[in-house]
Formats: sequence, C-alpha cells, structure tokens
Amino acid sequence: MDEMTDNSDPALRQQQPDSVAEKTALESSDVALVEGARGGDEAAFEELFNRHRRRVALIAGRFFRQREQIEEVVQESFTKAYFALNDFSNTQENSFAAWLARIAFNTCYDELRRLKRRPESTLSDVSEEEFASLSRHLSTEEAGRDVESALVSRDLATKLLSRLGPEDRLVLVMLDAEGLSVAEIAKLTGWSVPKVKVRAHRARAHLRRSLKRFL
Amino acid sequence: MIGKKRDRGLDERLDLLGREIVRASAANETEAAAAADAPFLYTRVHSRINAEREQREEKERWFTMLAVAWRAVPTMALVAVFAVAMFLFTNFGTQSPAGAGYDTLLTSDAEVESVVFADNRTLSNDEVLATILSDDEQEAAR
Repeated sequence: MDEMTDNSDPALRQQQPDSVAEKTALESSDVALVEGARGGDEAAFEELFNRHRRRVALIAGRFFRQREQIEEVVQESFTKAYFALNDFSNTQENSFAAWLARIAFNTCYDELRRLKRRPESTLSDVSEEEFASLSRHLSTEEAGRDVESALVSRDLATKLLSRLGPEDRLVLVMLDAEGLSVAEIAKLTGWSVPKVKVRAHRARAHLRRSLKRFL
Repeated sequence: MIGKKRDRGLDERLDLLGREIVRASAANETEAAAAADAPFLYTRVHSRINAEREQREEKERWFTMLAVAWRAVPTMALVAVFAVAMFLFTNFGTQSPAGAGYDTLLTSDAEVESVVFADNRTLSNDEVLATILSDDEQEAAR
C-alpha cells in the first residue's frame, strides 16, 4: 500500500505534498534522514519521528480509543522502526511513510491480539440503553441507509468490534475505515489475497451474527 | 422465496450497519492528534529505544558466551581424550611384574638407611676406654 496516495482520510490528505516534485523532495529527504539515523544521528531520527508521528497516531486511533493505548502504539512502532532501519530500502513503491505504516499496522495487530487474551469489554457490557437504541435502529427499514443520523455511539461500536478476532478487526478497519483494497491489505499484512478475502467475508458474517442478537 | 429475499435484505442492512460501526469506531482523530502531540513523547520513545538496546546487548552477550562455550566443548573433549590416551599409553609401556615395585622400594630404602648409619656410627666402650688411657699416659709422661 502506498499511504501517500490514500485520499480517504482528510487528516492524511492535509499532510500529503501537492506536486510530484514536492513528494520526491520529501521522500529523498526522508531517505537522507534514514541514512543519518542509521549512522547513529539521533537528531535525524527525531526529525523522522516529528514528521510521521501524527500519521502513526492516526493509524493507532483506528483501532484504539484511549489516548494511552494510542501513545503506546506510537512508541512501540517507532522503537521497532528504529531497530529495523537497516531493513528499509527505498524504492518507488516503498516510501518511508508506507514502510512505517506497515510497522504501525502490525503493531496494532499485535496489541489487538494481546488485548484479546485479556478482553476489556464484551457484548454483555452493552448497556440497556445502548441495547434498546440498537434494537430500535435495526427494526426500522431506514436502518443502514440513515445510520449516521441514528448516531451509533462510538462506545457501542467499540464494544461490538471487541467481539471480533484481531484478524477480523484488522481487515474490517482496513477495508471500511482506511478504504484500502484487498491487494493493498495483502501487501501490508503479508497475507495472500485469498486469505484477505476469506478473512473479510468471515469478519462480516461474524459482525452480522453479533448484530442479529439485537433483533 | 419471500423469506429468502427478506433474509438477504436483512443481511444487507446488517452489513451496512456493520460498516458504519467500523467507521464510527475508527473515527478517532481527536484522540489520535492529542496522543501525537503528547508532551515528552519522543523522550519516551528515546528511553524505550535505549532500554531495548540494553536488553539486546545483554542478550547478545549471553549468546557470545554460549557460542564461546559451545566452541570450547569440542576442544576440551579433545584434550580430555588425548590425556586419557597418554595415561593409558604410559601405563602400558612401563608395566612390570606384580610385586616388583614393592621389592624395589624396600631395597632402595634399606640401602639409603645403611648409608646414613654408616656415616653416623657411634663409638664402642673399648674405644672410649682406650682413648682415656692414652690421655692419662701422655699426662704421666709429662
């Protein structure tokens, strides 16, 4: 996936350079900083951190709600990136931003798996009020089409998604929130394209089953 | 037929709702921005890098020690085998009949004893008497 070309997110779009020349300059500058950091230049790595921290935080924010969790993912991602700098090779389809995004997604996945072993909230944690709201919402014909106005609370959304496995959640967030294609997800996760498709299908079925309980 | 259509319609609605739920859960820009701008975030990253580096160095040190030990094992084994071989070879080359060693030990001890006592022989009573008498005779002659 080349994150620089992802226009689905306004926050990401703001960070993107306008012209190709500007992008090339930025990328070459990133490469120079990576070279510096490889040589032990702490300031170069700090500059890389300042450039990309928002981007990594946005990725983490897709999966985690609490600021502490997002900060944890940011720290872990940059620590992993620091020790993997020698593995980074700058090619046209592999910019530093994309490489770092891959590390960030993998860190989120690891964190999701860790949390799955100690689930914080389950479906039983859905309050009576949330349950009633969702049931009402599902029973109307307008459900789905006018869902944004129905205000599905983020709390409830997070609780429902916490029922899914880490792999399911990763795929659904990448597909629906990041707007990535199956091929891009396969490239980011290192999975095969069929595996991503199967996983997405299963994840949707799982989510449907969870929602049917409210009917 | 009608039931299947209704099910499909419901599934579609649930899928749409599911998508919205995922988007709602992922829409967390404010918290993400706040986390990115958290004070001392780089300091924390830096200290984590240092801690990780120390951990890796410690692990590397253990691996080096293990590698040295691993390399020393065949060498030590070779030396041990060589020492055993030398010991066995020496014993086979100089082996004598049973009891011979004991006899030799006794003989040699007796010889040493006799030499020692030969040098420190005590005077007999006659010799002492003869010496006293000869001293008295010399005084009388004076």
